[in-house]
Amino acid sequence: MIADQLITDKGNSAGDEWITVPAPRLREALAALKEDGYRLLVFLTCVDHLADSSREWPARFEVLYELRDMEKLRDLRVRAFVDGDPPQIDSVHDLFPPANWDERETYDLFGVVFNGHPELTRILMPDDWVGHPLRRDYPVGGEPVEFSEEHETWQTPPPEA
Amino acid sequence: MSIEDMTGQGVTITQTGEHGAFGGELLTINFGPHHPSTHGVLRLIVDLDGEQVKRVKPIIGYLHTGIEKQMEALRWQQGVVCTDRHDYLSPPINNLAYALAVERLMGVEVPPRAQALRVIMSELTRLSSHLVWLGTSGIELGAMSVLMYCFRERDTIMDMNEEISGFRMHTSYIRPGGVMADATPRFFDLLGKFLHEMPGHIDEYEDLLTMNPIWRARTIGIGRLAPEVAKVVGASGPMIRGSGIAWDLRKVMPYSGYENYDFEVATNDGCDCYARYLVRIKEMREAVKILEQAVDRLPDGPINVDDRKMLPPPREELETSMEAVIHHFKLFTEGYSVPPGDVYVAVESGRGENGCYISSDGTHKPRRVKFRSASFVNLQALERMALDHMVADLVAIIGTADTVLGDVDR
Repeated sequence: MIADQLITDKGNSAGDEWITVPAPRLREALAALKEDGYRLLVFLTCVDHLADSSREWPARFEVLYELRDMEKLRDLRVRAFVDGDPPQIDSVHDLFPPANWDERETYDLFGVVFNGHPELTRILMPDDWVGHPLRRDYPVGGEPVEFSEEHETWQTPPPEA
Repeated sequence: MSIEDMTGQGVTITQTGEHGAFGGELLTINFGPHHPSTHGVLRLIVDLDGEQVKRVKPIIGYLHTGIEKQMEALRWQQGVVCTDRHDYLSPPINNLAYALAVERLMGVEVPPRAQALRVIMSELTRLSSHLVWLGTSGIELGAMSVLMYCFRERDTIMDMNEEISGFRMHTSYIRPGGVMADATPRFFDLLGKFLHEMPGHIDEYEDLLTMNPIWRARTIGIGRLAPEVAKVVGASGPMIRGSGIAWDLRKVMPYSGYENYDFEVATNDGCDCYARYLVRIKEMREAVKILEQAVDRLPDGPINVDDRKMLPPPREELETSMEAVIHHFKLFTEGYSVPPGDVYVAVESGRGENGCYISSDGTHKPRRVKFRSASFVNLQALERMALDHMVADLVAIIGTADTVLGDVDR
């Protein structure tokens, strides 16, 4: 059973049960939940709450773990809030094998460092990429699109007759 | 060796000079990303001892398109087009995951007719996805003719997609709040004919493969995935059912009215590539069964939720009602907003659990959309399955894992 002092907050979001645990004690909490029957990590990801005025957030990055108990058919979302540059949290790849690639992906796209991960390298972006694309302060980018009102600026002049 | 040890990852590339069991040096080779049998652009770094695979390290990301980032820049109703394009072999099923997630956060439920149409499109997609898998896997293992038969039937499914949504592949048919349009009589004609013929066609594929000695030699006993390992690595779909575990989200966590249909969960205890093949064949037969029931009991009624804040008013109302004009204007300039909160919805695609996690900050654009893709998770089990097999068997194992690289890289 997970100790009550590990749970700082809990609730239900549109039917999904969730709890919040302190980030430094995340491994302890997840190990207890695994003992409790939540043996499968469905996915792990991060949400960047930069400039989100809908609520008071404890920190900028929310790392969340969706756990599943395949016997009792119940899901539980575990949240941990981390700040800092880079934000750091413990790796759980040895508790839940699917976390291995998910942690690499979260490091790649959000820059969250998972302490204790055997091979924390970029997985989706090229190795020499600069920045972490899914952070909210990372621009979407793109090519400028020329519209017809700016026609003169890009249309090649017709050849001289 | 404990299960944890068997699945502990972190593969290192061989140091030169390391020796294999036969005294020779281990050879490190590149498999892909442009190899035709890697189902797209999967690159594997493979260590070989003679012809035996000793280590496999998948390198992914060649098809990364930043779909999750793009969706943060699109409004809720525009995001549907992105969900079509990550797992490009099963667009309506991905639409469904996203639509169900948005609907759960908004607290709306779609009418019964829309739910049934969603089931029809999901099952047609499952069939077409399995047909592509069967055809391409056949080619990879030397059964050239299967592809022709499979794509013949897939084309009629594409015709049905075109009839119901106007698009053959990326249909965007299932949307938050309902479906795009009602099915036409011609759609039901095509579907009826298809359902009448399909069981015979599945027999045809089985005639070509099930007792085929070459197919059996290439798949039986190859790529074993023990049930306990399958659970631990998070495998889903035909990968876990091929290991004898009856885990199907349509049965264990029903969505969109799947609890009302009578079908069996296809499982097989073989744990190998042949078992996964048999599971998919059985699933195609079950899909036909579900489709027949869905067509028989298709309820009448609306196909969208009756909520003008979420879906545009009908065209004729715009000419008489000021309120309809306002709703129309607001929806197409700003879109609707979704209450703050987050939700995860999982659906069973042809490959396993494809889920959609959305987090909203109460605005008209998502704060975060994350796709949990079955291919991404199943691919992590590749090394466990390929160890000590021949390099040619690696092709069979990648084939029956049925990864779609667009889904892996998103």
